[in-house]
Amino acid sequence: MDGGLAHPRVLEHTDRDPQKPIPQEAEVTAGCRVEPGRSYGFFTDTTLCIGCKACEVACKEWNNLPADNLGMTGQSYDNTGRLGAHTWRHVTFLEQDARATSMPPFQSNWLMMSDVCKHCDPAPCLEACPTGALFRTEFDTVVVQQDICNGCGYCVPACPFGVVELAKEDGKAHKCTLCYDRLKGGLEPACAKSCPTDSIQFGPVEELQRRAEARVTDLHEKGQPKAYLYGTPGAPGTGKGLHHLNAFFLLTERPELYNLPPAPARPARNARPSLLSGLATIAGLAVAAALVGVGRR
Amino acid sequence: MSARLPNTVPQDWQGETYHGRPVVKASSFDWKVSAYIVMLGIAGSAQVIAAVARRQPGSAGLVRRARWLALAGSMVGPLTLVQHLKTRSRWFNMLRIVRPTSPMSLGSWLLTGFGALSGATALGAWLGRRWPLAGRVAEAAQGPAALAGAGMSIYTASLLSSTSTPLWAAAPAPLAAQFGTASMAGAASALALVQRAVGEERSARRLETLAMLAGAAELLAKRETESRWRRAGIAAPAKEGAPGALLQGGGTWLGLLAPIAAHALGRAADRRGGRAGEVLPELASLAMILGGAAMRHGVLLAGNESACRPRDAFRVTQR
Ligand code: SF4
Repeated sequence: MDGGLAHPRVLEHTDRDPQKPIPQEAEVTAGCRVEPGRSYGFFTDTTLCIGCKACEVACKEWNNLPADNLGMTGQSYDNTGRLGAHTWRHVTFLEQDARATSMPPFQSNWLMMSDVCKHCDPAPCLEACPTGALFRTEFDTVVVQQDICNGCGYCVPACPFGVVELAKEDGKAHKCTLCYDRLKGGLEPACAKSCPTDSIQFGPVEELQRRAEARVTDLHEKGQPKAYLYGTPGAPGTGKGLHHLNAFFLLTERPELYNLPPAPARPARNARPSLLSGLATIAGLAVAAALVGVGRR
Repeated sequence: MSARLPNTVPQDWQGETYHGRPVVKASSFDWKVSAYIVMLGIAGSAQVIAAVARRQPGSAGLVRRARWLALAGSMVGPLTLVQHLKTRSRWFNMLRIVRPTSPMSLGSWLLTGFGALSGATALGAWLGRRWPLAGRVAEAAQGPAALAGAGMSIYTASLLSSTSTPLWAAAPAPLAAQFGTASMAGAASALALVQRAVGEERSARRLETLAMLAGAAELLAKRETESRWRRAGIAAPAKEGAPGALLQGGGTWLGLLAPIAAHALGRAADRRGGRAGEVLPELASLAMILGGAAMRHGVLLAGNESACRPRDAFRVTQR
């Protein structure tokens, strides 16, 4: 029997228990096995995004996240607004001036991008976390352990991308886990699996990076010279102590238009100059105190 | 340095934002955190003063009071800080790991050590009146307590600077100097008040001199912090609204210029045998403590405000 468009491995499981997942199902849906010890991430190609928000819905469904904004923002089709404690995928919409007749191919006059936690390397939220609730998993992703977080909130201002947030309901920090539970079960993360255009691709980071480079070359050849990567080593979105982002993007406009900082910095870099200057100050004042004769009657 | 954008996209950022939405998230830090910063700053610097004063003849009273002040601060401060946790019952998870990259983690350990050492100095000296061994423990603990105290006086600035909040991250070194000088000015002022209350006026005057010097140094540090904010184009939140009032009116005028002038006036009046020196020094010391608190709370609020301003976040991440 021919499987048609289906992955050949699907045929191995035609008589399986429908309640149980296919072992290493990611091989079927994303073309890669999920194995501990390798780096996994997302390559989000904004030139393919159609703004359907399937990723947002799939994320909320799988992770049991409550809705947090049922109103209209008036900001194009973006009624989600922001990433937050209950929103781990957020599709940004920006309408551009150029009309359809004058626009370059592969991107309408809308800029749409499915934003997500970048699973940075190194991760500023993790570097800030004093309890060890934030940790790096065996898949090289960054996850908050809910049974350890005590809601100090220090990861929130630490994140250079405004991703992680404290939930009012339980007083703990929440963010994208890159579907840690699904990865453990060999499944592709929910957002990537649901993306109908493959704008969100899941896989081992080096392989995604190679694929992304090829996609940029391809787009340049096809007449979209603005395509570039954000978050691969040496690209915008890295440097200043951030080596690379496990969830990275292909963009066609300045990063600010997608609400991304062009050159974010690793915040922990500031600790050393601050501590040195502070201690020098106190040492100087201690000398001053001795000279003034503090303590003498 | 971060990589350049491709030449095909505009090279200069024209101030565009994504629908004016914030780029980074503001911290949840509120007055409880500011109160902790102030209390532990004063407590920490009090230990530094105790260590310096110990060498002087006739300093026993001041040293004793400085140690008790430090112990009080290291007891009350953490109780205030724990109130800020959103899951308070898990405060002890702060001591679950040591994270060298996190000033909050290092600070938790430093605070623990500082509290223990402050207890050793204050209680040791007290018990030392009956058991000489306890007294020797107190003396041995004084040096480490002062070192930990130096850390307590300033690490809170590193904690704020090691974030992606534009205003806090833009001036790490001068901000720490500002916090350190304010801690020392606060501790010297608090101890001057105590010394005046127990009638050790000459000792109080030396502390007031120290407070004036620290205040003058704080003015310099503040100038540098503000000029860095200005150069980065992110100074607005520190000038407007409540944070602006706290920083300029509270921190600078009430906390530095007025008390320094008042101390100077008091000295002049004293020298002429006048009466201006009667309550003026006390008022000036009080103003310095309150001003230090206003400055810290102003920095905290201005930082939270700056995190909500997408242009500020983009300005500090251009190259
Ligand atoms: S994007 Fe923010 S929350 Fe995600 S790993 Fe990086 S610092 Fe942490």
